[in-house]
Amino acid sequence: MVEVASPSPIVTMSRKDHLSRTFEAYRAEIDSDNERRERLIILSRSITQLSKKLIFHLHRGATSSPGARAKMLNDARTKEREIREQFRKVNEVLREDGDDQGWRWHRQVSPGLEEYIESLSFLHYLEGKGLITLSDVQAALSDQETGDPWLVVTPEDYVLGISDLTGELMRYATNALSTGDHETPLSVCRFVRDVKAKFDRIPPFLIKPLAKKQEETTRSLEKIERVCYALRLRLLEFADRPEILRQMAKRALDEADREEID
Amino acid sequence: MSITAVKDQRRSVEEALTQAITSLEAEQSLKKTIREAVDPLDDVARSALSELNLLHSIPSSGHAALCEKCLATVATSKSHWTTVASLIPKGEFYRYQFAIGPTLRSFVTAIAMAHFLLKDELIPVFAISSLLGIGEGEIILSAEDYLQGVIGMVNELPRLSINAVTTQNFFLPIKISAFVNDIFASYSLLNLRNDALRRRFDSLKYDVKRCEDVVYDLTLRGLTPAPTSA
Repeated sequence: MVEVASPSPIVTMSRKDHLSRTFEAYRAEIDSDNERRERLIILSRSITQLSKKLIFHLHRGATSSPGARAKMLNDARTKEREIREQFRKVNEVLREDGDDQGWRWHRQVSPGLEEYIESLSFLHYLEGKGLITLSDVQAALSDQETGDPWLVVTPEDYVLGISDLTGELMRYATNALSTGDHETPLSVCRFVRDVKAKFDRIPPFLIKPLAKKQEETTRSLEKIERVCYALRLRLLEFADRPEILRQMAKRALDEADREEID
Repeated sequence: MSITAVKDQRRSVEEALTQAITSLEAEQSLKKTIREAVDPLDDVARSALSELNLLHSIPSSGHAALCEKCLATVATSKSHWTTVASLIPKGEFYRYQFAIGPTLRSFVTAIAMAHFLLKDELIPVFAISSLLGIGEGEIILSAEDYLQGVIGMVNELPRLSINAVTTQNFFLPIKISAFVNDIFASYSLLNLRNDALRRRFDSLKYDVKRCEDVVYDLTLRGLTPAPTSA
């Protein structure tokens, strides 16, 4: 809070003049808060956009040949660093306010943050490292030299971001199928199942928006499970004929989609 | 996928989510502790506001004593504020503001009302902070909470103005009307967004009008004291 007025009003000044002076200070404070809020919302949007692009990029290359896939992951890291750069800018704005940890403006930044966690965790998964931890995410969003966080990543942000990851994994499993890869759907299925099981233990009042996202996760998981079911049956029957496998898998997925629409 | 890889993947999920859930629970328990520490403060704020309710019924000669009593009640909150402040980790006030802000606003309303009746002026932020003893700690009385709390006081004034007339105090309505006018002019200086503060500000103009109406009724009947005494 800015220092607003001297404790004893100047006698010659009318109350109205005195109040005006005080309120001009509030105006300055409110104006600069509003301006800061706007800048953070813009940064958050830009982080969201860049994260979405990164996710598309990951989907495009995730099912390519090993060589192309490695190059894609490499490029993805470059893109991911660009997003971090945006977070560094967020930190600059926060510091102007003396709010180094970003609590005051967390709500303005968290939409971008969640999207970033979704993309980062997807990248982490595709790199074969399993599920990224909250402290890994926090480390990514901290000054690499001093270790000071650019903004605090709350467990809520993390859980909501990971919740969205399951949707991306469903898509990934589906895409993998169309290339005849039957290993990926089975492995993604196990992973998403484990995540959902853990999430189901979180009391709903701890994270309000989670309940809705959990429904989405459950739907994604059911789709993957349906695909895996068909896949397993066909593997038993036509193990040596990948072409037929592909067809079957596609049909299973279409059925799952249709049922969802009904 | 090899069996080891499957196990690794499993473990990574288990570890990552256990970590997140643990910190979620820790955060939740601190929020609960803070909310519970704020409860006695809400009690104090309610007592202070309830004491001020008497302003509407007692003769104005008793106003000053009542306001002093209200400020004394407010002062009893200091130790509770110290407790709350000590629970907030350094620099994390805004993380818990949701639990503390509404209480702060009630205090601002009560204090500003008592201060106006005693001194005929709007109490500044720093004076409120020092009355509550929150100047040094982690608790911040933000402009938003202060400005909202002050509007809470103004919303009470038209009623006080009307009731003053009933108890035949014809001076207070004039004092109130002038004060509310000054405050309205001051809030008009702010560039407000379309948020809660803006909506509350919009309510001020009705208070201005209601206060002016009372003065008008008095003037019409020649009941206003001589301008010099106002």
